[in-house]
Amino acid sequence: MKRLLLILAIMLAVSIALTACAAPAAPETAAEGTAGEAAAAPAEAPTEGSTLRVALSTFPNSLDMPIAAERNASNAAWQLYNSLVWVDDDGAVVPALAESWEVSEDGSEITMKLREDVTFHNGEPFSADSVIFSWERGMRPDMQWSDRWAMVTDIEKVDDYMIVLKTEEPNPLLLRIIAENWAMVPPQYIEEVGEDGFAAHPVGTGPFEFVEWNKGDRIVMKAYSDYWEEGYPKVDNLIFRPIPESSTRVAAIKTGEIDIVGRLSAEEAAQLKGVDGVEVISYPVDRVYYIAFNNLTTGVDMPTEDPKVRQAMNYAVDVDAIIDALFAGNGRPSTGYVTPANWGYDTEIQPFGYDPDKARELLAEAGYPDGFEIDFACPSGAYTNFEQVCEAIVGYLGDVGITANLELMESGQYWDLEAKKELPPLFGDSWSETSGEAYPRLTGALGGWDASFSAWSDPEIDRLLGEIGKEMDDDARAGLYVELQRYMQENPPFIYLYEPVTFEAKSTRVKDYRPRPAENYYLKYTYIEE
Amino acid sequence: MQRYLFSRVIQSILLLFGVLLLVFLMMRLTGDPASLMVSRNASPEQIEAVREEMGLNDPLIVQFWRFASGAVVGDFGMSIRHREPALDLILERLPATVELATVSLFLSMVVGIPLGLLAGSRPGSIWDALARIAGLIGQTIPNFWLALILILVFSVQLRIFPTFGRETWEICCGVELPTKSVILPAIALGVFTMGQLVRFTRSSVLEIRNEDYIRTARSKGLSDRRIYLGHILRNAAIPLISIIGVQFGYLLSGSIYIETIFSWPGLGNLLAEAIGNRDFALVQAIAVFTSLAVITINLLADVAYAVADPRIKYGG
Repeated sequence: MKRLLLILAIMLAVSIALTACAAPAAPETAAEGTAGEAAAAPAEAPTEGSTLRVALSTFPNSLDMPIAAERNASNAAWQLYNSLVWVDDDGAVVPALAESWEVSEDGSEITMKLREDVTFHNGEPFSADSVIFSWERGMRPDMQWSDRWAMVTDIEKVDDYMIVLKTEEPNPLLLRIIAENWAMVPPQYIEEVGEDGFAAHPVGTGPFEFVEWNKGDRIVMKAYSDYWEEGYPKVDNLIFRPIPESSTRVAAIKTGEIDIVGRLSAEEAAQLKGVDGVEVISYPVDRVYYIAFNNLTTGVDMPTEDPKVRQAMNYAVDVDAIIDALFAGNGRPSTGYVTPANWGYDTEIQPFGYDPDKARELLAEAGYPDGFEIDFACPSGAYTNFEQVCEAIVGYLGDVGITANLELMESGQYWDLEAKKELPPLFGDSWSETSGEAYPRLTGALGGWDASFSAWSDPEIDRLLGEIGKEMDDDARAGLYVELQRYMQENPPFIYLYEPVTFEAKSTRVKDYRPRPAENYYLKYTYIEE
Repeated sequence: MQRYLFSRVIQSILLLFGVLLLVFLMMRLTGDPASLMVSRNASPEQIEAVREEMGLNDPLIVQFWRFASGAVVGDFGMSIRHREPALDLILERLPATVELATVSLFLSMVVGIPLGLLAGSRPGSIWDALARIAGLIGQTIPNFWLALILILVFSVQLRIFPTFGRETWEICCGVELPTKSVILPAIALGVFTMGQLVRFTRSSVLEIRNEDYIRTARSKGLSDRRIYLGHILRNAAIPLISIIGVQFGYLLSGSIYIETIFSWPGLGNLLAEAIGNRDFALVQAIAVFTSLAVITINLLADVAYAVADPRIKYGG
């Protein structure tokens, strides 16, 4: 008996020792001045003033914008930074750290006047040098989003608060991409603490400043008292809590442990309706789900090279029924690859609609009255109910005589094959867009051999995209988008599926929370009503 | 004993090497992470550059050598996604997992061993029935389901425990103690171990109480209390040690389900995320780390076994 107790005591000692040994690892990586805070118990989060607690559905990999891997990371990160310009809630590009700008006649140069009253959270003043440093850093090849910075080929410093951004060709989307990606960072600070120090304690000019990051548990920020936009932010403390499991997010908003939760299913949202103190929010997301055709590798010489066959396959699938059955009616059938949230959306265009007779007719016209056989792949575990959507499509195609052999693949492997253009001639996926225009999504999916995730090439689409990419006049560009959408109905490179609705919930105490169609948000306006 | 120890250590090293190889190959069977590391608008050249930079174009044997030779000296490479050394990330998350495993094992022992003892000493009694039900439920109930039910009852309805996350209480100088936030995940994680302990304790006690030496003890007129605590439990404890050792190893490797549901910032959560993102270095590091923990604890349990039971002689 004594020996048993002894062994237990040793085990306990070992676990305490393990805990104690491992504990100091966190502050070691923290930057100067934060070491103490990082080691402090997270329970001692700031309690003075109002606190907004937001759930994230994944663990952010970084709060450094050029490597923030996905939406949750960039949503948390953006609260710390500003860009040169900003896209407001109505989709207009408005001044941020650049108070005004002028685009040269040929569209290849933008001269910007920078604000002179901005300081970083560490007190370092913001100036032209900060822009140049941030740009050079963002362009580094080891940065995930380097292509978003490399669109500018040179920055000329006119004086401390005047810069000229230069591009090789006019780029109508440049300011939007800058607004979405170019977080300004402090050069002196990064030089002092190094990249590791910056990763441990990021510093920006944004409405909130970094307090601590307890990996896997919480990111704590507080209002930046010298923020250049008078009166913002409206809460004193901001805490992000990663909660990967959606049913736990539902429980946490019910108990009031969290103020805002996102990425809920329709069923979970329904469950929250009528709960005291909780308000359900839903809005359409700028994301298109589709089944892609391939005319570059595996789809060469397949019947799907004939536009009539591709039209037939669009008519064969009952998208409305899929939305009703699998998404409780929440979603919108796609009319193409441009969504209503995008510039240049064609308001007259209609979805194909379900018409199996017409599908059979078109197949017969194309020379396939008895249908044909085709391989088909979809990712599993990546999107809500997408496996079932793909299985439904197999059924619909079967009804018009097309035998689709579906293979469901683990999503990581799937995207790897997609990038190598090795997926079957028919494959499902989705594509979101944050810039407010469909251009990046269009070039990404239809850019042919030049784009990794494209399996389609069409000279007419190339021509129209080439023009859109250079057209600086907004109305003219909208006209080109309309022309492209109509062409892409006659010659569909996809079976167009649906654009989803996303569900979130917030505490009724939270006011002025403004999520956007790309599932992003800026929390400077948000406040708590006691 | 020394010879035994030596051969066990050699075995453990071979086992660890096998684990390394298996994890390395399995991760690579399903494609590489280069396409996940660039924006979706990336050109094939950009993806190729990433692949080159990460050494993913090298022959597998070269990649394995790089991994294995680094692992030996504790260098598991950089996490692709976090851009931090994989080992640092593990050490950051380790305290949470150790806390959960310890509390969970403690709870399951406090409930499981006395219940098993009571049941074994009074077969057919109400305690016995209770123990058999507890043993069965503990071993059959899916722990992720139990986790959700616990949240629903104790967090949402009764508001006794927090729904998710980890709070600790720092007593001084970096030493942190668990708070009530650990209770629900520990119950959900420990219920299986509890069930095992109930069943093993019960059957050991049942077996031992019919041994000759117990009859001798009885005939000497010893009280029941002394017989159970002094003779039966003491002998029943021997097989329990190995079970507790194995279970502690299993609990230490972190539970993906439980940690994910409770958003517990431990190794299981980190592993789930790393697998989803094809973070090769991180998955490999966690796999090696947890196998090392399991192998070491099993080794310790075997040694403890010998210490606790004078009849056991190894290698001799």
